[in-house]
Amino acid sequence: MAGNILEARGLRKTFGDLVAVDGVDFHIAEGETYGLLGPNGAGKTTTISMVMGLLERDGGDVVVDGKPISTSSTSAKAAIGYVPQDIAIYPDLTARENLDFFGRLYGMPSSTRKQRVDEVLEIIGLADRAGDRSEEYSGGMKRRLNIGIGLLHGPRLLMLDEPTVGVDPQSRNAILESVERLSREGMAVLYTTHYMEEAERLCDRVGIIDQGQIKAEGTRGELVAMVGGRDRVHLATTDRTEPAVGPLQQHPSVDEVTAADGSLELLVRGAAEALPRLLETAASAGVSVTSVDVVEPNLEAVFLHLTGKALRD
Amino acid sequence: MTKVLAIGVVNTKRFLREKANLFFVFVFPILIVLMIGAFFGGGLSSTVGVYAPGDGELSKALVQGIDDLEEVKVREYGSEAALIDGVQRGGVQGGLVVPADYDERLAAGETVEVGYVARPDQTGILLGETVNGVVQRQANLVRAARFAAARAGVPYEDALPVAMVVAPGTERVTVTTTEAGAEDSLTAEFEGLGAFDLGAHQELILFMFLTSLAGSAALIQTRQLGVARRMLSTPTGTGTILAGETLGRFNVALVQGLYIVGGTVLLFRVDWGDPLGALAVVVAFSLVGAAAGILMGAVFSNDSQAGGLGVLIGLGLAALGGCMVPIEIFPAGMQAVARATPHAWAVDAFSEMVRRDGGLVDILPNLGVLLAFAAVLMLLGTWRLRRVLTR
Ligand SMILES: Nc1ncnc2c1ncn2[C@@H]1O[C@H](COP(=O)(O)OP(=O)(O)OP(=O)(O)O)[C@@H](O)[C@H]1O
Ligand SMILES: [Mg+2]
Repeated sequence: MAGNILEARGLRKTFGDLVAVDGVDFHIAEGETYGLLGPNGAGKTTTISMVMGLLERDGGDVVVDGKPISTSSTSAKAAIGYVPQDIAIYPDLTARENLDFFGRLYGMPSSTRKQRVDEVLEIIGLADRAGDRSEEYSGGMKRRLNIGIGLLHGPRLLMLDEPTVGVDPQSRNAILESVERLSREGMAVLYTTHYMEEAERLCDRVGIIDQGQIKAEGTRGELVAMVGGRDRVHLATTDRTEPAVGPLQQHPSVDEVTAADGSLELLVRGAAEALPRLLETAASAGVSVTSVDVVEPNLEAVFLHLTGKALRD
Repeated sequence: MTKVLAIGVVNTKRFLREKANLFFVFVFPILIVLMIGAFFGGGLSSTVGVYAPGDGELSKALVQGIDDLEEVKVREYGSEAALIDGVQRGGVQGGLVVPADYDERLAAGETVEVGYVARPDQTGILLGETVNGVVQRQANLVRAARFAAARAGVPYEDALPVAMVVAPGTERVTVTTTEAGAEDSLTAEFEGLGAFDLGAHQELILFMFLTSLAGSAALIQTRQLGVARRMLSTPTGTGTILAGETLGRFNVALVQGLYIVGGTVLLFRVDWGDPLGALAVVVAFSLVGAAAGILMGAVFSNDSQAGGLGVLIGLGLAALGGCMVPIEIFPAGMQAVARATPHAWAVDAFSEMVRRDGGLVDILPNLGVLLAFAAVLMLLGTWRLRRVLTR
């Protein structure tokens, strides 16, 4: 399809008996930010590694900027900037040396390289520490350098694998802002995360991935519509929940009730207004509610709806 | 190519930043140089046991001639049995038996056998060569005196002192020496070898390879840091990454090699043969060592494992390749096996230049084989690195 910077089809990877990625298809349009949202072990890193041509795949193809990518591609990789989940820098080199080294590997001529290294140092906020060995940096600074290397050569597609894991809120915000700015400047982004808020904030489209499969894909609006725009109400109760199920289902604004041990899950339209009457109903059925949790329709709720589990425990 | 350079430069730069490595490159080789000097140069002299019961002039002169050698001391024994015992116990590194009637039989125009006993190890054999040199020099004198006696009618007894004065340049003759523990063809093989050069050549090759294998740690670390994989995310192929890492280790091996060669020349006048040829051997062997180290770094994921095995492999190949005992005293089958090690080809290149007066042209086959070793190791390394990074 024209206009796509990345097309991945039928990606598959097994490690022994474990199917880590099981038929993943997705594409990213020029300038689009695409998110892979999924919990630990969902297959995000495995997917991004195959897309980057760093991992031999058991099936599927990847085309970036019209060129097929495999572990033996070289020139096709020039269009991509890659930020691995685990920090990959030389700790005994300074930030400037690390950047300069990778600049050479990206084939940047020395004239533009020096200038670009300075620019990136500014972007990642390490200009004043550029001459210190990176092993002396804080965790957040190392993460920013890790990201900076991926930006260096001004790629058309930037792939970031959980770049904010283990980062303080301030650095995290700075990272998200950089990604937003790069996106505004026209860079396409593949962003993996298990933080729903990051996916909502950054991504034009999101693929929800679990157990190696993309369970659903679309814009935030499209995905939320899958849960019918309904709020998810979680009622924690004393042990007996069954007596309340029937009466609650009768309620006009309630679409669905599921009873679990000591809790009730309700899909409700307009939970804010309906809640007092719902609690009354439960009480009159002899079920006392100890706490209430309302989840407005968001990607977290979509994930819960699709997989029956939370993104994070 | 510029990428290979970039990776190589960063590799070397990181290596030199580690203080312990500075010791490794600049101090440790000095120790090796001193060790070579001590073992094979003038520092630690060898001792030759002598049993020479006769009291003729020539017999005494022969013993004196050996004692006069700078690097050799003489210890006299009272009987042949005591001498052999001394050799066996290692009290002396070699033993010379001069027959009681040495002078008389030479005067009578006979061929005299001088016995040399040594354990068949390197020091014994090399020492034998040195002793043989002294014997041959005296043989020349005898030969000259006989010649004079025969041609000019001068009595042999009178001609001998004259011959001693005019000795240099006279024709070589046959005072037969037999060497216990070594064969005669060996004598020819080691002719022309300066005092203790062979040992230095072998030490150099052994050491260079051993330390190059330690270079595996560098690649293992780069892999563990995730940087090797990240390099693969740039438009850089596995072959380029491997070549770059190899270049980094090559720089280190080359500096070490040249440093040792230079040091032993300056301090102990070790003969390495044609300078250009020696440089070429060190360059080629540095490449072999670096490629072997990097291959190990692509095979193993744990640097202490690789380190331990590296020492075993380094010493094993050195022994097999004739760096501990000269390949010439290997049985024929083992000699063929030795040829499968780069060590044998490198040591042979030095032998060619030093013992057989060869030049750069004469060692081209050796250089070719060494470069082929390096190429094969690098291909294997590339194949393995790609596997290990992408699975
Ligand atoms: N090299 C490997 N060998 C064996 N199993 C692997 C390997 N790499 C990943 N896996 C398995 O594949 C599955 C997917 O892993 P992956 O790293 O892709 O998940 P992820 O979505 O990136 O998780 P996280 O959010 O924790 O980074 C997991 O079950 C993981 O244990
Ligand atoms: Mg991951």
